[in-house]
Amino acid sequence: MVADLYKRFQFFLKRFNLRAGDIPLWLAGLIVAVMWIAPFVWMVSTSLKPPKEVLTKEIEWLPRTVVLDNYQKVFEYPVLRWAWNSLVVAGTATFFGVLFGAMAGYALARLHFPGNKWLFAILIASLMIPTEMTIVPMFVGFLRAGLANSYFALIVPAIPNVFSVYIFRQFFMGLPDELEDAASIDGANRFQIFWRIALPLARAPLLAATILLFTTNWNAFLWPLLIVFEEKMKTMPVGIAAFTPVVGTHTQLEGFGIAMAGVTLLSLPSLLIFFLLQRYFIEGISRTGIKG
Amino acid sequence: MTVTSQTSLTKPSVLYRLRHLSWQGERIDWSGYVFVLPFFLPFLTFTVVAILFGAYIAFTNWSIMGQPEWVGLANFREAFRDPWVQKAFLNILRYGLIIVPGVTLLGLLFALYVNQRWPLSAFARTAFYSPNVVSATVIGLVWVWILDTQFGLINNYLGRLGIPNIPWLTSTRWSLIGVSIASIWWDLGFSFVLFLAALQEIPSELKEAAAIDGANRWQTFWHITLPQIRPALSMIVTLQLIATLRIFSQVYMMTNGGPAGSSVSVIHYIYTEGIVRFRLGYTAAVSLMLFFVILIVTLIQQRLIRERD
Repeated sequence: MVADLYKRFQFFLKRFNLRAGDIPLWLAGLIVAVMWIAPFVWMVSTSLKPPKEVLTKEIEWLPRTVVLDNYQKVFEYPVLRWAWNSLVVAGTATFFGVLFGAMAGYALARLHFPGNKWLFAILIASLMIPTEMTIVPMFVGFLRAGLANSYFALIVPAIPNVFSVYIFRQFFMGLPDELEDAASIDGANRFQIFWRIALPLARAPLLAATILLFTTNWNAFLWPLLIVFEEKMKTMPVGIAAFTPVVGTHTQLEGFGIAMAGVTLLSLPSLLIFFLLQRYFIEGISRTGIKG
Repeated sequence: MTVTSQTSLTKPSVLYRLRHLSWQGERIDWSGYVFVLPFFLPFLTFTVVAILFGAYIAFTNWSIMGQPEWVGLANFREAFRDPWVQKAFLNILRYGLIIVPGVTLLGLLFALYVNQRWPLSAFARTAFYSPNVVSATVIGLVWVWILDTQFGLINNYLGRLGIPNIPWLTSTRWSLIGVSIASIWWDLGFSFVLFLAALQEIPSELKEAAAIDGANRWQTFWHITLPQIRPALSMIVTLQLIATLRIFSQVYMMTNGGPAGSSVSVIHYIYTEGIVRFRLGYTAAVSLMLFFVILIVTLIQQRLIRERD
């Protein structure tokens, strides 16, 4: 019995390339991993507690009674409207960001025209320029043009995304010429070739770019914070941000339960997409080497 | 019949000539410009044009009302004397000194761990990366709650070790550290993934050879792994440093720059002074200063990396 158990244990160690001496290290790493996501657990747990049980002397990781009061209170704010705004803004900006990125990436990778290399050099150089450099002039520009506080102001500056171009350029550079040559002999023009042949082949970069851009746009903070003046035009991260005790007063009045319910709702879409499509997520990041 | 073909040979139409124009020995594909236009038109507007416009604003007293006037270097002169500007620039360097090493070292450590492919390493990978996908609002609020002086998780556990409550976000001494802790948690996933990708590209023969030579884990890391991931390491440090010099959202969410400006960052100062108080000319000048600081930091770092190679 014991011998059998020992054999099984040895097999387990061997199969996972784990030496007996490494077991403490392995377990320590797992404990760190659990601690690393503990803030999320704490967030959800707090959001489900009745207000009286939130501020306790002892830590209670699980709520004694699960209630949805905090969520009910969050919905007294225009959360649905904020979520809708975020969905429209992030959805539209992502759609055009991916499409225009794919087109530009395709042209930079495969089409022969003067200025091609220059455009790519500008693209890479722009990564060195912090986007925040441009917030004051952009703010002035949108204000003067009377375009502030609109979907237009939220969406259009988010459309040109360098990483989208980069991901597609990398992909199309590796595509063999033969596929396109056959189509151009058949009399298809460049746009038909792009739309019917190149783009359908680019499923992996399409997915990677979509995920990267959508999460970037969904989480966008600084620009939506300053370009929107009305409660009903806020995006979800900006709307929920008012629950922070240093800026707004909601949390001082109602406690952390409601704030945690708000951020649980806000983080749900990103975390869900991440858990489901992890592989593409990580691929997208390591392929571009850059954060949105 | 022959006549027409001759004329078309001697005098081809402009369109025909354009179509067959070549550059660097190959026919120019004019459709390329159509393909890049939808991206580059807004892109150049919101980067190049915006930066030039910003540089112009920096030399004016642009505000929300009235006509802006050219004021020369007055904004820059004021900025150099402004104690808040000094504080903000010093603070972003402090943030950099805490967050960049924190993210780089922990990210590398976690990547080395996951790369062992021990049981449940997929879970660890998910866990280490997950904070990176949520927004600043989530990071800020969750950590304001966790770092709460009286009821926060951290102080509660420290209390069990006999450490008195630390006012993480409400004292001038700790606020910058409190914000940095949350930032490390948020940003780590990015460096972690890049390190992991770099580790996976190391040829396994190298490690096997080291093992045959009897190298221990530390020797293998120092002589094999580290030289192999050097490019990734320098890229991560550069990008994380630039990102940290631009720190804003966490600061806004967790302390709003306070108390007494102890955690204020440059972008946060630009936000409060420019967007809230509408001193647009002045903050455009501060933005320009930040741009040059980031440029200098980047150049110094690239020089250092190149020299070592």
